[in-house]
Amino acid sequence: MQGLLIFSLLLGAVLGKEDFVGHQVLRISVADEAQVQKVTELEDLEHLQLDFWRGPAQPGSPVDVRVPFPSLQAVKVFLETHGIEYTIMIEDVQSLLDEEEEQMFAFQARAASTDTFNYATYHTLDEIYGFMDMLVAEHPQLVSKLQIGKTYEGRPIYVLKFSTGGNNRPAIWIDTGIHSREWVTQASGIWFAKKITQDYGQNPAFTAILDKMDIFLEIVTNPDGFAFTHSKNRLWRKTRSITAGSSCVGVDPNRNWDAGFGKAGASSNPCSETYHGKFANSETEVKSIVDFVKSHGNIKAFISIHSYSQLLLYPYGYTTDPAKDQAELDELAKSAVTALASLYGTKFKYGSIIKAIYRASGGTIDWTYNQGIKYSYTFELRDTGRYGFLLPASQIVPTAQETWLALQTIMDHTLKHPY
Amino acid sequence: INSKKECQVDLEFTTEHYNPEEGEERLGKCSAQVFFKNEKPRPTINVTCMRFMEKSKRQQEDYLLYKHMKQLKDPLDVISIPDSHGHIDPSLRPIWDLAFLGSSYVMWEKTTQFLHYYMAQLSSVKQWKTDEDAIDFDYTVLLHEFSTQEIIPCRIHLVWHPSKPLKVKYHCQGPQAPEEASGIEGSAAAPTMGLTNY
Repeated sequence: MQGLLIFSLLLGAVLGKEDFVGHQVLRISVADEAQVQKVTELEDLEHLQLDFWRGPAQPGSPVDVRVPFPSLQAVKVFLETHGIEYTIMIEDVQSLLDEEEEQMFAFQARAASTDTFNYATYHTLDEIYGFMDMLVAEHPQLVSKLQIGKTYEGRPIYVLKFSTGGNNRPAIWIDTGIHSREWVTQASGIWFAKKITQDYGQNPAFTAILDKMDIFLEIVTNPDGFAFTHSKNRLWRKTRSITAGSSCVGVDPNRNWDAGFGKAGASSNPCSETYHGKFANSETEVKSIVDFVKSHGNIKAFISIHSYSQLLLYPYGYTTDPAKDQAELDELAKSAVTALASLYGTKFKYGSIIKAIYRASGGTIDWTYNQGIKYSYTFELRDTGRYGFLLPASQIVPTAQETWLALQTIMDHTLKHPY
Repeated sequence: INSKKECQVDLEFTTEHYNPEEGEERLGKCSAQVFFKNEKPRPTINVTCMRFMEKSKRQQEDYLLYKHMKQLKDPLDVISIPDSHGHIDPSLRPIWDLAFLGSSYVMWEKTTQFLHYYMAQLSSVKQWKTDEDAIDFDYTVLLHEFSTQEIIPCRIHLVWHPSKPLKVKYHCQGPQAPEEASGIEGSAAAPTMGLTNY
């Protein structure tokens, strides 16, 4: 109730330019009928300009009244003379209003820099795109933004490039948010971007990586889906492409790659969450990455990030045949999850996709691995099902922090094992 | 065990007191065998727990929780617990927990060695009646099935009184055909769960 009254006061102050400097709100305790009477008399004194928030009713019910500064002394003397008890609920109405106004606008205001950006909350697509621009502006020597394509609905698809020079250096690719409902991944992507700019030049092991290799980070890999999770359906997974001949929308971007496309482990039903699409790379969100990877030609590690179930996975998902480099991938996965667990004790399992999670065809890292990108991994971040996709925002930063340790392990290994 | 026809999963887990008190020992230890046959749902479950609460104490605690729930503000205008940001208002927590209890029965009825479910969200409350002798709770949840990644809306109607077995009726939407079933927990096959040991 008080909040509503404050708000209307604020509105009045803003619109009517009223001033409440020095005004106080008193809470009057009326002990008996006589006192109730006396306070009612006060109400009739118009020149006092009293504003009763909670009027006199009966003994025992508190009376709340806003008293303008000029009337304060008179009212207090009146109450004290008649032995009526009161306390000062609000010392200065104007300063309370000022504080609240600040808070209200601060809440809506954009972060002015990546230092004031709130990493511990989930953001909209606009906010994330705004963040990217700020990061580039703050670190123009290190970070640049590339547009690799457009979504089905026409949104730009951006990738951040972190580079300390060279020409087409061997590179590491990280993507988050390919499945739009996996919000902790995009949120972690933002954190990784900031972390890179903080650690370069500060952390020797990481600096060594970035001195020799480039990092490409696609934070919102499925922008249409992501916008849809904000506007209509928080649990939307796929793209938003329209399928001719069906009333169902969207293709699973992690079944649309050209690796075992259409085989068991994806659905041919457009209404299914794992619908593979009419043909491989039918989705522009996927095709854009394919084109980028092929034209770059020098990507050495490819990491695609999902949630949930706390797993680190390597190829294959579409076949039980082991990957040629299975032993090394397995060993590296083990180190990576050990590093991850070292921070908060979060346990990850690891293995090939088909063994550790389920058969899945047309998946991202099966394709990248077949392209010759040896260190191809998929993460499934927190949690293991308690909150699932709806992971509390308070877990964003811890999740990003621990995952970063695993990523560093993989990047470090990639640096030290050129091929 | 013939792995084509049968599948056994052995589990060990800990339980926690629903409303832990200062200084009280928090964790109970349990082990369970979950037995799937012929790829069918409704696995047989054998659970043994150490340091399980004494029955009379359990009943007492259930009753306290029941009384607390009866006093909760009517959650009819509530949608989405947790919200998009994963937040659950502490005052609404017991409602989510009770919704989870009903959902766990539905999920047990659907779980096979290949189909694994999670309760993604309590999406709406249709009815929350506490004026009679039991809590009459009619709600919808979104279940997440892991291998297909599908989100399945289910309408659940549960009736809970601490001294009686939980009654659950439900109807889930399916991509193929809608399923319909009802059940009463507390039969010999399925252990009755006191909320305090949930």
